[in-house]
Amino acid sequence: MTGWFGAVTSTDHKRMGLTLGVCSLFFFLLGGVFALLMRTQLAQSNMQFVSDNSYNELFTMHGSTMIYLFVTPMAIALGLYLVPLQIGATRVSAPRLCLIGLWTWLCGGLVMQQGWFASGGAGRTGWSSIAPLSNGTNTPGVGQDLWVIGVILAACGILLMAACLVTTIARRRAPGMSLLRMPVFTWTELVSVLMVVGSFPMLILAMVLLYIDRHGGHIFTGFTGAIDYQDLFWFFGHPVVYVMFFPYLGSAAEAIAVSSHKRWFGYIAFVASMMMFAALSMAVWSHHMYVTGGVTNQYFAFTSTLLLVPAGIEYFDVVGTLIGGSIVLRTSMLFALTFFIQFLIGGLSGIFVASPVLDYQAYGTYIVVAHFHYTLFAGSIFGFFAGVYHWFPKITGAFLRERLGKLQLLLMVVGTNLTFFPMFFLGNDGMPRRVSRYPTHPGWGTLNELETIGAGIIALGVLTFLINVFVSLRRRVPAGDDPWLGHTLEWATTSPPPPLNFEAPLPPIRSYAPLLDLREQEIDRARERAEVTAD
Amino acid sequence: MRGGAIPILAWGTILLLLAIGNWVWNGRLVGGLAASGAVAIIYLFGLAVWLARREAIRRGPPEPREDPETIPQTSLAAVGIGVSAGCALFGLAWAKFLLDFGIALFIVSVGRMALEFRAERASRRQVLAEEKHE
Repeated sequence: MTGWFGAVTSTDHKRMGLTLGVCSLFFFLLGGVFALLMRTQLAQSNMQFVSDNSYNELFTMHGSTMIYLFVTPMAIALGLYLVPLQIGATRVSAPRLCLIGLWTWLCGGLVMQQGWFASGGAGRTGWSSIAPLSNGTNTPGVGQDLWVIGVILAACGILLMAACLVTTIARRRAPGMSLLRMPVFTWTELVSVLMVVGSFPMLILAMVLLYIDRHGGHIFTGFTGAIDYQDLFWFFGHPVVYVMFFPYLGSAAEAIAVSSHKRWFGYIAFVASMMMFAALSMAVWSHHMYVTGGVTNQYFAFTSTLLLVPAGIEYFDVVGTLIGGSIVLRTSMLFALTFFIQFLIGGLSGIFVASPVLDYQAYGTYIVVAHFHYTLFAGSIFGFFAGVYHWFPKITGAFLRERLGKLQLLLMVVGTNLTFFPMFFLGNDGMPRRVSRYPTHPGWGTLNELETIGAGIIALGVLTFLINVFVSLRRRVPAGDDPWLGHTLEWATTSPPPPLNFEAPLPPIRSYAPLLDLREQEIDRARERAEVTAD
Repeated sequence: MRGGAIPILAWGTILLLLAIGNWVWNGRLVGGLAASGAVAIIYLFGLAVWLARREAIRRGPPEPREDPETIPQTSLAAVGIGVSAGCALFGLAWAKFLLDFGIALFIVSVGRMALEFRAERASRRQVLAEEKHE
């Protein structure tokens, strides 16, 4: 079935992935507009561009839109499109369930944004909506209710799609594709969707209880109630950081391995580090709660610091892959390398906030904002663009323009660091986050102005990307089936792939890089023939 | 498929150890219950994958599938169920009529889903009969 009706009702994983991806991208642009409005308000001290209440709505909806409606679902969208192709499957398991999830998520996004039209405005208690601030007495109004319902719907949708992906990986791998022959990207997706399955039910539970609380349930009352809400929320809130990171790490890893013309270094160690990372990520949630005085800081500081071990292994693997590789610095590779460099800043600043004594100082300041934007924006978004430039030829059959891509990279690197690096200085100087106005203070005005200029440069970078997509689809430069000499099975089919993914028989699967195996075999045979001829 | 349940069960076991550590050290009821709940969900998921296909617990690559399977192209019912959930919950907070509309749409969509499954089974039976005839 073709046309828009076919597109929206299709159970083909590629169409569902594209629909989810395009809708997520729309929410990314919306969240970006909210960020620009916030940065305009903060450009100078005591600005009156938006009211205090509107500012609260803006930072709440910016965070919520980016986390629930862009970065997390986009990670699932990449998986929906690519995982079946990478494991040699013809489709996803339970495609109808996946489609239900897609539409439930989309409805959640639309319901959340409906809050803008409600009396009293949209949700305004931050993306975490900590109780008792978010209860019916402190934050009355339909907008906050719509925010809660939107989060419930979006989380249910993501959970259903994640369950389909886990089942697909568990049950639909091609003959020969053992778990330790799955591509790196598929492993990152598997670990991410396992974390979704394990942690998102807690978010749904927290939001349902919050809704009841807001309507006279009195669940999160007193000190214990506040801590209980945070326990439930952050049990989801920390793993989701890794859900928003791993698939983009996988995208960057694929781009680096293919552009280095080398196998991914330390595959088994990488898989083990992923499992360790994911398990630990569900045992560190209370490091968001050090200052509450309601948790045992030692345990969570210990597990949070342990995260350094798997992170170190991953960086070691990147360096190992690059060493001795025949490196081509195409746009996807540059985005991938930038992803790892910038994420390092986010990761290193994470060590500070993982330590209770330092977190007491940094909590509630711009240091925290700088830290998570270096992990989520400077990290994940760059990994996302690495994936887009890497797989765009497979998805559309056409190349993205390299020059425009490199211009986008330049704008985004400059914009990102101009926006988020000064936040470390502001935070260190004690500037609190989530305030719409700040007093005149030496240096704060200049740094905030720089950040606002940086946000504008990021917007130009995103605009360059949209122009690139438009130009590349209007004046197509055909890419062929395997333009980068890829390693994994998605490059063994046509671009774009046919409805059942593979028309020709799959190549033998003897490792996590079956196409690279084939090429190496051909080289070996050619060498043997040359030696025989020489003899 | 072979091996599919192994990472899920391994993951559940690592999480169980961390949850025990958290329980012993932290001793908070809600945090402990959240961690234990996650362990239970992961184990149940692994168990479901294993029960669906016993080979999921063995190591090694999967074997080729012999049996024909039906692949749905579109599903209006799935879209209907997703939209009905959105309408019903939206109706809880605003525009109350959407609650009734959402419930009605859900019932209709579930009915249509049953029809889609029936058509799929009929198509599979037909293919099996043709294969047998040949």
